[in-house]
Amino acid sequence: MEALYSTTSFPSITIDSNLSNLNSTSSPLPPSVIRLWRPAAQRNLKNQWPKLASYRQQWCSISSSARSHATALVNSHLSQRYMPNMELGVLNDMPDIRKRACFKLFKQQEQQRSKLLSSYKDMVAVVSDMKNISRSMRCFFKGENNSPLLQFSSFPEDKSDSGDGGGIPVFTSLSISSHEKLADELIQMFMLELCLKRLLVLEFLSIGCDDSQVNQLKWSDELYPGEFNHLSNCNLYSEETYEPAHPRLRCRKCEMVYLKFDSKPNSEVLQVYLTSWLAELNIDYFRVDEIFDMVGEEMHVRLS
Amino acid sequence: MEAIVNKFKEKFNKVKEDLNRWEELQSRLVSQFRNASYIIDRLQLLRNCKNYGDLNCIDGITEAVLAKQMQSLENIFVSMRKTLEKFHSIVLFLAKSDRDGRQLVKGSSSRPTMKQLQQRVGIKPRLIDCLDGLSLLHDLYYSEYQLKLSLVSALSANALKLSSSDHGALQQLLADQPNIQTEEVRFVFDIVFAEED
Repeated sequence: MEALYSTTSFPSITIDSNLSNLNSTSSPLPPSVIRLWRPAAQRNLKNQWPKLASYRQQWCSISSSARSHATALVNSHLSQRYMPNMELGVLNDMPDIRKRACFKLFKQQEQQRSKLLSSYKDMVAVVSDMKNISRSMRCFFKGENNSPLLQFSSFPEDKSDSGDGGGIPVFTSLSISSHEKLADELIQMFMLELCLKRLLVLEFLSIGCDDSQVNQLKWSDELYPGEFNHLSNCNLYSEETYEPAHPRLRCRKCEMVYLKFDSKPNSEVLQVYLTSWLAELNIDYFRVDEIFDMVGEEMHVRLS
Repeated sequence: MEAIVNKFKEKFNKVKEDLNRWEELQSRLVSQFRNASYIIDRLQLLRNCKNYGDLNCIDGITEAVLAKQMQSLENIFVSMRKTLEKFHSIVLFLAKSDRDGRQLVKGSSSRPTMKQLQQRVGIKPRLIDCLDGLSLLHDLYYSEYQLKLSLVSALSANALKLSSSDHGALQQLLADQPNIQTEEVRFVFDIVFAEED
């Protein structure tokens, strides 16, 4: 029975200070209860982590297709802008050629804008799903505490139940709260990146729009119905200022004094926007892989 | 004698496989090179905070974008080196095939004379054709490998000094593979496999 919660093997990586008190393995719960809790908790984590890994893959593919939409949008916009001075050669003689080309390019931009917006929507959904995972890592007791048939659920029935088996390691060394910390560290990167991408989406959606339009985009605009609900599920919406969290880099701040959302930025700026989209500035993929490796090793599952 | 020719044919088949792999690696290297030049060309633009538009509201954005780009650039250079190593192993294989070919002729019990080396039986390749072919292939691909090495180091050493048209020229050179004359290579194989066609 001791073997069940003795922590014999430690991975060589130090994860956080929580580990130092593992040797005591002092769960306030009786061993018989722990013996039942641990497999259930293990099953749950083995279920949740692979989902996180697959959301990460989804993020990457959506982000990259969003980037192609944005690139196409930028190209159509620039072509349209350069159309009046474009050398058309023999085509010059065709009636209304420039007008038609501009109209076509304008239509293309409309399509590309809506594709970009729908990719953004998918990215918000992915981050929201990630956030939900980090909330369902705990494993709570269900039903009678002293009945021989213990059941488990992802919601606490009893306030005193913290769902972490009293802080013992679930597999070999990481407790539930350590798992949560790692998941949060990972999700935090995607959350920050989402805010930054939102700024870029707004920039891309603004290009080519009529400046005089009353409905010029603002940061506090909801980009699609339900966006703010999703964002508040990700803790990315401020109920005080009624607007989404401001874009920033990790450990840095943001001074959103006045955003122009320029409808005709020059091509250098557009190129910087596209590069910034590609760079995924807030996501340290090296660390992401490290976290998945660490947890995968702990659970004896391949996550990445 | 015929046995030796057949052994040569086996060798040429293996060489052919490796040369197909060379083509795959070639397109990989060209695209890696192109991506690296894109990034290098963009660096100047990314250094100027005037080009960041509204992104300037984000503290530290310029440094962050530059750092990420430099990191990607480094990664690309690492992968380019890996690709070059694979090219190298093909060149080594060609050198070995060349040596083995000579050994095959020298080591055979009949010890063919110069006359026998040049003797032609029907449309079978002459032994001398096989020997020269292997040696020629090695020479061509060896020089091309050397060229690729120097092109990649030119790009990495002078990354920040070259203009984008310089990058274009290097890239063209890399794509053209001036040392490998496709006609010449095909001719070698045509002679060796003349019977099969």
